[in-house]
Amino acid sequence: MLFRRIYQFLIVYMVAIAFLWMIKMGLSLSDYVIPGIFLVAETAGQVAEEYVFDVINTLSIAVLGQALSIVLAFTVGISGRKSSWIGSFIKVTAYNIQAYPIVALAPIIFILLGDGFIPRLLIASMICYFPLLLSILGIMATPVEDIEHFYIVTGRMRWQLEVKIRAFENLSKLTTVISGSATLAMAGTIVGEFIAANAGIGYSIRIALYQSDIAKILVALFMIGIIISIYQGILETMGEQIKNKWSISKEGVVL
Amino acid sequence: MRLECHNLNFTYPGNTTAVINNLSFSMKNPGFKALFGPSGVGKTSLAKMIASSKFRGSKDIAIENMDTILYSYNLERLPGWSSTGNHLNKVTSSEKQSVKEQLIEIFELKDVLGSRFSQLSMGQQNRINLIRYLLQDFDLLIMDESLANVDEKLRETIILAIKELFSDKMFLYISHNLMEVSKFCSQILVFRKSLENKNSFVIKGQDCKKGYLLDKKQLDITMLEIMNAF
Repeated sequence: MLFRRIYQFLIVYMVAIAFLWMIKMGLSLSDYVIPGIFLVAETAGQVAEEYVFDVINTLSIAVLGQALSIVLAFTVGISGRKSSWIGSFIKVTAYNIQAYPIVALAPIIFILLGDGFIPRLLIASMICYFPLLLSILGIMATPVEDIEHFYIVTGRMRWQLEVKIRAFENLSKLTTVISGSATLAMAGTIVGEFIAANAGIGYSIRIALYQSDIAKILVALFMIGIIISIYQGILETMGEQIKNKWSISKEGVVL
Repeated sequence: MRLECHNLNFTYPGNTTAVINNLSFSMKNPGFKALFGPSGVGKTSLAKMIASSKFRGSKDIAIENMDTILYSYNLERLPGWSSTGNHLNKVTSSEKQSVKEQLIEIFELKDVLGSRFSQLSMGQQNRINLIRYLLQDFDLLIMDESLANVDEKLRETIILAIKELFSDKMFLYISHNLMEVSKFCSQILVFRKSLENKNSFVIKGQDCKKGYLLDKKQLDITMLEIMNAF
């Protein structure tokens, strides 16, 4: 799963680069507009190490932001799963806020909190929180009647059991949503850094943008793609392992 | 123990045709009773109404000396994170441990207690589901095709064992097996697809118990009565 993610990214990246170079050749564009293969390689040699640390810096913020939003989304999703007024209120609020582009709030956060760790973390978690919340709310609010019926009629149903049943039955969906939200968290952090932070790969891309250096941007995109692919691959592998451990007995395999 | 319906009507919201139309019947005393009829005539709807606390207090459904009514059906599943044996242990009180062991033996499930629910055959899944209901406190247990996909011989063994072990309880058995309901049930409420007022009949069954001697002639009569009412 981990390697598949990396292969997929490499294929997409190569296709995109090939397309750029086809345009460069077709329109006879200079290296200033679209850098050639040698210039990109030379730039990579100069900045690769620095960019790896920048991406890791960004990823650490994204991972923290994602973890924060997962905890928050589960807390709110579990509280809002009931069809009580508070549950309906949470659902309606989440749907409405989700419709608003959260990234547009980033400048306000930077004005109020300044550059640094907290605003980057806040933007990363806000961007992946609402899609996560909607998926978790959807999963937690949908009864698994064939399993829950017995516990309800015999008076054994507790909220912990209800959550466990619904999470277990939707484990694949949850794993997909969580690994998908990693991209959102990363995108959120980069956008935050791009707007006003003083560290991370988004900040480096901003500098490259001011220098109109596409070669640096292509190297940065490569680093981001590889590292996010590894992170997503790890998340998916973890999800798969949890699923296997939870659902397959020692005596045999699930058909 | 008494279960009665008086001119019961029920239409699902958004539908114009009634699923249950002017239904009246009376069932008394513990034992196996059956709801029999073609698909879509309202057997499951009636069963759910009887089990639902929302309808229980209504003037159309009268229930006497039965406080706990459980409804079980054949598509139920056990959670998949643990073995079926563990799930059974968790829902069985300490005083019912010996009954549990007895039922596992009768239901022929000893070898599958270490397996997850999804690893069992459909017949085994239905049997394990029925056992956990039998281990609860109840006065009336509704078994909606709870023994589907179980072979005929074992089904007979199970029904006879339940009748013997739970002789003070009432069971409402929903099945499409004419021979089975005629043989083992004391009263059979036969539903028919009809728009007439009288769309159900209660027929007396053979109510066979463990070690029974079958009166084939009487069984044929019961089966014919059911088919005529159908």
